[in-house]
Amino acid sequence: MLFRSAALLTVFLTFSAEAVFAQAVPRTVSGKPDLQGIWQVQNRASYNLLSHTARQDMQPGMGVVVGDEIPYQPWAAEQQLANFENRQTDDPLSKCFLPGVPRIMYMEHPFHIFQTDERVAITFEWTQVFRHIYTGGQQQMYPGIEMWMGDSRGRWEGDVLVVEVIDHNDQTWFDAAGNFHSNAMHLTERYRMLDENTIEYEVTIEDENVFTRPWVIRMALHRQTHMDRILEYQCQSEVEEANGDFERDVRTWYPATIPEDNEPFDADAGVELPELTVAADIPRLADGTPDISGYYLADGGGSNYGLETFSDRFLLPDSRGVVVDPPDGILPYQTWAREERIDRQRPHRGYDDPTAHCFLGGVPRSHYIPAPFFFLQPPGHVVVLHERMSYRQIFLDGRAHLPDHIRLWQGDSVGRWEGDTLVVESTNFNGKAWLNEVGDVVSHAQTVIETFTPVSADQIIYRATVSDPIAYTRPWTMEMPFNREDQEVLETACLEDNNDLGHLKDVRDEYRAAQNQE
Amino acid sequence: MKILTAFFILVIGIASGSTSAHHSFAAEFDNTKPVQLTGTVTQMKWSNPHAWVFIDVEDESGDVVNWALESISGNVLLRRGWRKADLPVGTVIQIEGWQARNGTPTASAFYVTLSDGRRLFAGAGTAKPATEEQE
Repeated sequence: MLFRSAALLTVFLTFSAEAVFAQAVPRTVSGKPDLQGIWQVQNRASYNLLSHTARQDMQPGMGVVVGDEIPYQPWAAEQQLANFENRQTDDPLSKCFLPGVPRIMYMEHPFHIFQTDERVAITFEWTQVFRHIYTGGQQQMYPGIEMWMGDSRGRWEGDVLVVEVIDHNDQTWFDAAGNFHSNAMHLTERYRMLDENTIEYEVTIEDENVFTRPWVIRMALHRQTHMDRILEYQCQSEVEEANGDFERDVRTWYPATIPEDNEPFDADAGVELPELTVAADIPRLADGTPDISGYYLADGGGSNYGLETFSDRFLLPDSRGVVVDPPDGILPYQTWAREERIDRQRPHRGYDDPTAHCFLGGVPRSHYIPAPFFFLQPPGHVVVLHERMSYRQIFLDGRAHLPDHIRLWQGDSVGRWEGDTLVVESTNFNGKAWLNEVGDVVSHAQTVIETFTPVSADQIIYRATVSDPIAYTRPWTMEMPFNREDQEVLETACLEDNNDLGHLKDVRDEYRAAQNQE
Repeated sequence: MKILTAFFILVIGIASGSTSAHHSFAAEFDNTKPVQLTGTVTQMKWSNPHAWVFIDVEDESGDVVNWALESISGNVLLRRGWRKADLPVGTVIQIEGWQARNGTPTASAFYVTLSDGRRLFAGAGTAKPATEEQE
């Protein structure tokens, strides 16, 4: 009898705990645990998954591997020791390469989880990497293609998000201690929300080429309640700015000021553009907002090779001209900026284009770079995942912009729906980006007002008005269609495979050497 | 035949403008250094923002030089149906393009000619010149 009472009590307590658990976890409209928010670990797993004492540049920490042992095959155990000895140079992160999964999840950088019923996006502070996790049963379009970040497909098992990650390459490590895997690795991640501010993150790791059995890591992700957005850590640009390989342009980088001999900036200049008509049959979200989620490719008309009209340039595509205001299609440059644009087309300046270094494209260039992108519409946000491995986070909650001195490659974007048009204002740029490969100029002082109007189920008309009193005499506007396609955004490991930059540097160095001899 | 299909796909990729370029093409390659090369494929590097084909080319003195030929991005190739196995090691191709300004055995391959004589457009960073008939 006593036993039976105890058993009943246990059942009751278990039931009560589940009831409390269910109440404590925030949920989406469709009833799933709501993982949305900013998260980060509080452990030292990125240095070594196993318990370890301190070394130079290696903080000590307790392990996150269940059993505190990684079951290497004998050859692999020797390889890990060699990796450890050579970690200063061999760690892919020492070259700012993509960290892979799961390492990106427990680095000392926060990340933002965005969630809809069909997908989960994770955007990372570290080098603006993102993960795009399909949770709506979508099948892989391109199976078997190895990627640094792998391919992630998820499903909900009760209240646990289970994600299978496959198609890894063999270039990434688990940590800075040289723990490694092969391209046969299969990960099963489990995200279990314990309370409003804690996710239990567990990964089962299988790789028959390297290990003798599956093994498990487990740790907590903690909500970062002290921050309302993540900032940027562009690993390679910080390295190259520090060592001088990427040179500061004092005329455009923050905090450049308006040149004394600039013409006055006429902020009110501009023509009224034709009103756009939205088709009656565009898809909409439950609240009536246009549903623009999906994969798009800009019909940029050669904008990456010139925003004005160009033709018959050797080794360059034509540009149809996307400037709709001023109506003559000519960018209203300040004199110095137009001269700079012309100078940037000389071969020795090709090295100065940030995207040649695989840095971020900025706004609006990220949309016509040319590479596709994916719109997500999680509650309160529009998120753009750019295949060129960057993203934009657009906040729809009416928040103020960042403090003036916080400057970012992609700027700070705050938006709102005006009728069926998404209107986005972006400020806080760092002024490092070019507008395209031929060097159209923009500075940190730009404010960009973009409108995204879904004129049909398959097309958005994009307009961007750039107001930049350092480089221009008046605001100007570009326009182009974004066309929706049934495609997946893939991975562009640009820095990791950048064979061109060395050639461009040779051309620049040769030019400078010749100049010095004169 | 599969190789032909793959290069036809390359052509379409260029024509659609989705070249995924990331650097000034004219800054890297020299329009005064046109090159014509015949060689044997040694590697297809599936990468972004540019894929690369490597060929062994024998010069007049009999020395073999491995040339790196820039193409459009691996992702564009994928979406157009190209797969790694479509250009196997050992395939003999002839290319026309422009050499890198730094003088290394690097070129942008604008045209690729296959053993049956068909000439296909395979340009890397730009749509010009793009007047050649596509197979």
